[in-house]
Amino acid sequence: MPKLTIDGQEVEAQPGATVLQTVLSQGRVVPHYCYHPGLSIAGNCRMCLVEVEKAPKLVIGCATVVTEGMVVRTESEPVKKARAAMMEFFLLNHPLDCPICDQAGECKLQDYAVEHGRGYSRSVEPRPAFNKAVDIGPHVMLDQERCIQCSRCIRFCDEVTRTGELAFFQRGDRTVIGVAPGRPLANSYSGNVVDICPVGALTLKEFRFQTRVWYLKNTPSACIACARNCSVFVGTGTQRQIMTTSGQQDERVKRLVPRYNPEVNGHWMCDEGRLSWRSLYAAPRLMQAKSEGATVAWEDAIAKAAGLLRGKGKVALSLSPRLTCEDLYAWRLLAEAVSAQVSVRRIVRGEDDSLLLRADKGGNSRGAAWILGQAALDRSLTDAVRAGAVEALVVVGDPLDPADTPALPAGAAVGRVIFVGPHEVGAAEAAHVALPAAAWAEEDGTVVNFQGHLQRVQRAHLPHGEGRPGWRVVRDLAEAAGLTLPGWAAASEVFASASAVVPELSGLAHADVGILGVRAGGVSTGVPG
Amino acid sequence: MERILTRNVDKHDSETIAVYEGGGGYQALRKALSGMSPEAVTDEVKKSGLRGRGGAGFPTGLKWTFMPKEVGKKPHYLLCNADESEPGTFKDRLLMERDPHLLLEGCLISSYAIHASVCFIYVRGEYVRSIRVLERAIAEAYAKGYAGKNILGSGWSCELVLHPGAGAYICGEETAMMTSLEGNRGYPRLKPPFPAQAGLWGCPTTINNVETLANVPFIVERGADWFLSIGKAPKNSGPKLYSLSGHVKRPGNYEAPMGLPLHELIYDLGGGMLRDDRPLKAVIPGGSSVPVLRADECEVDLDFDSLAAKGTMLGSAGVMVMDSGTCMVNALRRISHFYAHESCGQCTPCREGCGWMERILDRLDTGEGRQADLDLLHDIGGQIIGNTICALGDAAAMPVQSFVKKFRDEFQYHVDHKACMV
Repeated sequence: MPKLTIDGQEVEAQPGATVLQTVLSQGRVVPHYCYHPGLSIAGNCRMCLVEVEKAPKLVIGCATVVTEGMVVRTESEPVKKARAAMMEFFLLNHPLDCPICDQAGECKLQDYAVEHGRGYSRSVEPRPAFNKAVDIGPHVMLDQERCIQCSRCIRFCDEVTRTGELAFFQRGDRTVIGVAPGRPLANSYSGNVVDICPVGALTLKEFRFQTRVWYLKNTPSACIACARNCSVFVGTGTQRQIMTTSGQQDERVKRLVPRYNPEVNGHWMCDEGRLSWRSLYAAPRLMQAKSEGATVAWEDAIAKAAGLLRGKGKVALSLSPRLTCEDLYAWRLLAEAVSAQVSVRRIVRGEDDSLLLRADKGGNSRGAAWILGQAALDRSLTDAVRAGAVEALVVVGDPLDPADTPALPAGAAVGRVIFVGPHEVGAAEAAHVALPAAAWAEEDGTVVNFQGHLQRVQRAHLPHGEGRPGWRVVRDLAEAAGLTLPGWAAASEVFASASAVVPELSGLAHADVGILGVRAGGVSTGVPG
Repeated sequence: MERILTRNVDKHDSETIAVYEGGGGYQALRKALSGMSPEAVTDEVKKSGLRGRGGAGFPTGLKWTFMPKEVGKKPHYLLCNADESEPGTFKDRLLMERDPHLLLEGCLISSYAIHASVCFIYVRGEYVRSIRVLERAIAEAYAKGYAGKNILGSGWSCELVLHPGAGAYICGEETAMMTSLEGNRGYPRLKPPFPAQAGLWGCPTTINNVETLANVPFIVERGADWFLSIGKAPKNSGPKLYSLSGHVKRPGNYEAPMGLPLHELIYDLGGGMLRDDRPLKAVIPGGSSVPVLRADECEVDLDFDSLAAKGTMLGSAGVMVMDSGTCMVNALRRISHFYAHESCGQCTPCREGCGWMERILDRLDTGEGRQADLDLLHDIGGQIIGNTICALGDAAAMPVQSFVKKFRDEFQYHVDHKACMV
């Protein structure tokens, strides 16, 4: 472990670490643009110039490996002067269109200009005009004027996705980023270039002009669009704060951005997951409880549903593989109490890729297998329903994507259908009783990814309408049906019950899961390759 | 003085192998391969004090010793920098067009010294004639067994590969040249790693200029002591090519011992100033990137250390002479245009700074200058120098700083009178 001195402080560094990495690991900042921990070193922005004793000139912290006894100064006069110089150069040809720029508020150019810039321009030269809205792919728009040529996006496409769509064109201060004709930025991870763009040059079509970022509330959670469960921040906002043309009143998800988790997704997430929030609004929400198509009070609906469950005959349960462990466990207890047959629906599309994407779109398939047994995932209720062997069918809708909520099997001879879910689609339309449930981003819980990594999903905003967490619906149903289920008051209590019973979850509690999650089920940890 | 580097250039058919061999060509290669170890060749070059002729003046023998001692782990490469693009410089072109085999012999001996299995010659794309001549010369060298497998029966093999550039000044920067040769956009690389550790395709590589390599056969043939007897030993020795251009009667390439007095180049070899009524005003002694000398600073010898003592550099020895009819604002504007156009755009200070300086100079030259521009120009230069990935930023900033400093009155006149004083 090399020891060095940074700004008078003795610091122990990781062998092979750079000066910039070492400073960052100390919780301090040397301003930088082109350096990104998930990409190779480019050393082109020159913002992280620092003074190293005995070096003839300033060196860039991102490319200077620490050595024993090195003396580094990050706040000396020459360093500050160089930083101010770089800021002047960055802003020289920048359009300064912050008032209409989506990046404003989370823009490194703004931040560093305030911290290190001179506050006024010494240039009277006209600023060059480049293209401000270049459609470079299905999800990404490019503003060539705002670009500072840090090459993060190019390196991402070269090194992470290995698709190489982006490149520099032209030379000198005419340099622009672009794609080759007929080769748009259309890889499955294109949205990440928007996240790593330190300025407003790359914006996400699905987010641009939607809101100012300072109005967003960012809640740490996990994506459930596939079995990877990428760690994310869920950005939500309400009507008052958000420019909208759709007359939106309630709080909604506005974007998902990946959250660094070395055990699960590293720095990145796929476009499918990133945009999965849109499906939450792709179908009408079930706002209130319904019975035979008519709106009824929650208590009445629950009482009616309980009555249906209590009747004679076989009960069957169709669950989504995206439900939280808490919901799944609650449904398991209910199923056991009424001797119901349980099936967890499979959602499989496409293939696993070498980066993050999983063909299994069940965001909690592994958790379902742990809680309900693999047999529940292998079982289909279709035949039983067709044969008329099911008297009462409970269909629990998909918490994320209404398209993954099934309609009843054709020709189903089901006497009674109870639907529980966030959207009024599929089985909800034919249900005798439909109970609104919270969607993803509206309830707390845990999910387990294909590696056995357990993470928390968190409530980013209150459920729309009367929707409530699945485990609470179960609790109410059980109560009304006179079944003895624990009277949970919070998701953490449901989890505590589950961990006492499900061997893979034993010894765990919500409080232990932390921000990055934990490996559960005795699965050994390891950063994905 | 005996002409060394240019001894063949005036001969009829000087580019053919027959003429080259007739003048004693390829004897040095024979001598090296038959009687000297690679280390002995390196030692001789080291002893000779030969310094790189491309611009930086780094000791060539010392550079060769940076190559890994361990041979055979990865291929070693020699890269001949023939991308001569510095404005005012045309010495390598003469050697390539008129005596290509001298360069090839130098390439082969140097490859032998550093255990290189391939020598790439990266020629400036605009040098079409050089490319054609070298292509023919390489074919001749292969046919005669001077290149290829088992050269001269020594058991040592070396390939010669010619690579024409695509027209970017930056590709003359050694790491950008490697990036370009590998098929990528010509961007300089961060150092470390240095080319001798990780160069072409990650393999140990030495990059030498054409004129540097052309000196090597003579050092091997005649010895380091002979080389040191020319010019100003120990650090400024050997023969040197000077490219003389500008307001002189006889511009052209001149060979002289290192340390030729500048006035001798201009007034004796160059035949004096172009017009007798226009005296000398300024000289750029080493290609457009080096600081300019005022007429009163021109009592100087053209070698690395004498020019350094005057605050400028020998650079590529492209001596540009300007007479009293020259507008220094306009001259600097032209120089700055070149660097703004050729900046690769990879790193911030050079990308933004070069264009900014050019636009300010455009205004000054056309009478739109402001008082603040003079200090601003100097300041921008200072913000570029030392903060860039490669030396192009320095090359763009140094002339600006020196012109504004040394001819401030002329720049001031442009600001005050919106017109030129010349």
